[in-house]
Amino acid sequence: MAEQPPVLSADGVPGADPEIRQLRDKLAEAYRLVALGQLVTGVVHEINNPIGSIVSNNEVSLRALSSLKQKLDSARENGEPPPQKAIDLVETLLSLAAVDKIACERISAVVRSLKTFSRVEERDLRTARVCELLRDAGKLVDCQYRRRIELQIEIEEMIEIECYPQLLSQVFLNLLVNAGQAIENEGRITIRAASVSGSAPAEVEISIEDTGKGIAAEHRSRIFEAGFTTKPVGVGTGLGLALSRKLIEETHHGRIWFTSEEGRGTTFHVRLPVRQPRPSQL
Amino acid sequence: MSDSKPPKVLLVDDEEMVITSIRAFLSLETEYEILAHTKPEDALRRLEEGPVDVIVTDYLMPRMNGLHLLAEAKKRQPEAARVLLTGHADKQSAIEAINAVGLYQYLEKPWDNAQLLLVINGAIERTRLLRGLAQKVDELDAAHGQLKEAQRRLIRAFL
Repeated sequence: MAEQPPVLSADGVPGADPEIRQLRDKLAEAYRLVALGQLVTGVVHEINNPIGSIVSNNEVSLRALSSLKQKLDSARENGEPPPQKAIDLVETLLSLAAVDKIACERISAVVRSLKTFSRVEERDLRTARVCELLRDAGKLVDCQYRRRIELQIEIEEMIEIECYPQLLSQVFLNLLVNAGQAIENEGRITIRAASVSGSAPAEVEISIEDTGKGIAAEHRSRIFEAGFTTKPVGVGTGLGLALSRKLIEETHHGRIWFTSEEGRGTTFHVRLPVRQPRPSQL
Repeated sequence: MSDSKPPKVLLVDDEEMVITSIRAFLSLETEYEILAHTKPEDALRRLEEGPVDVIVTDYLMPRMNGLHLLAEAKKRQPEAARVLLTGHADKQSAIEAINAVGLYQYLEKPWDNAQLLLVINGAIERTRLLRGLAQKVDELDAAHGQLKEAQRRLIRAFL
């Protein structure tokens, strides 16, 4: 029988002292909410347009349908074929219905990606598709930065790994938000994921590359420290990368590192085992 | 409205769905000519081609935001009324910039069709009055010039 993975606290680390564990849980939870909060304006904007369209289309459709009915009734009474105006109205109604479909899909996609991050209870180790976790995180970040940052996704579709999906999503979201904040005007974020060839045990590598301002040489040794941030109050918590490293190295037995060039950009690399070692293998 | 041609509404939003919805609404409710663009640069080029009565634009768009577009539009057609249709998140920046671009009105998304129509109607009325006034001033200037010329000729005839 397979051995059970260890019980995790909210920051993904097997807990020791219950009091410390509880505090750490609260801190991790607060950080998760801060990370989500940073994306709220983008989400609001992303949902606003489709809602505006749906509300407007519904109003227009009701009026168009009643006008269409009148025209068809009057044509029938006079034994005439449907007038051109009625056909135009049907065309308009068809185009509005098509817009409504797209609008509903847009809202559903945002809500789906938000759900990935708000599922507090999902702390079980399971097999997940890396591409889905990255796409959900990418979708939320895209809502926020779409108008100035191009998001490129180059992912091998079928890669599946054993992981704590919600915790891993939190790392991806954090790295993507950092990448978005590093780009001051326009730029590009590229998300890549591929199997590492010849690795034993099997591994996958995920990278998030931005064309932002890069990390200053004097800050590079400190960026994974808890409480270290170069961002203004209200933007950076100084916890994102510290927590991300814990989640990758201690929870998922992987590695996280970066390469950066000032003025050119930064790439964060995450390497993860496809199967998590069982406690006896540690 | 004194002008006999149907009013022209220039609609700019990078989201096709917003344009489709507003266009369908205005087409059903009014006789206005709707000119729509998803790229602000194309909208500016359209302004070079002839007068429009009102410009309704989104705020957050790639490459050029709505206020930048309206500032450029003001240089090209100062009397065309400018309306900003903004998401809640950009409201503050919109309010701050109202004076900079001489905004006629700003509306929030999700928009209300009745309110949108009211604003567009008011904007068209204002533009047409401004253009009518400018035309009257030109006519007065021309009449004044003719009077001066006639006066000069009269004086010359008597001297």
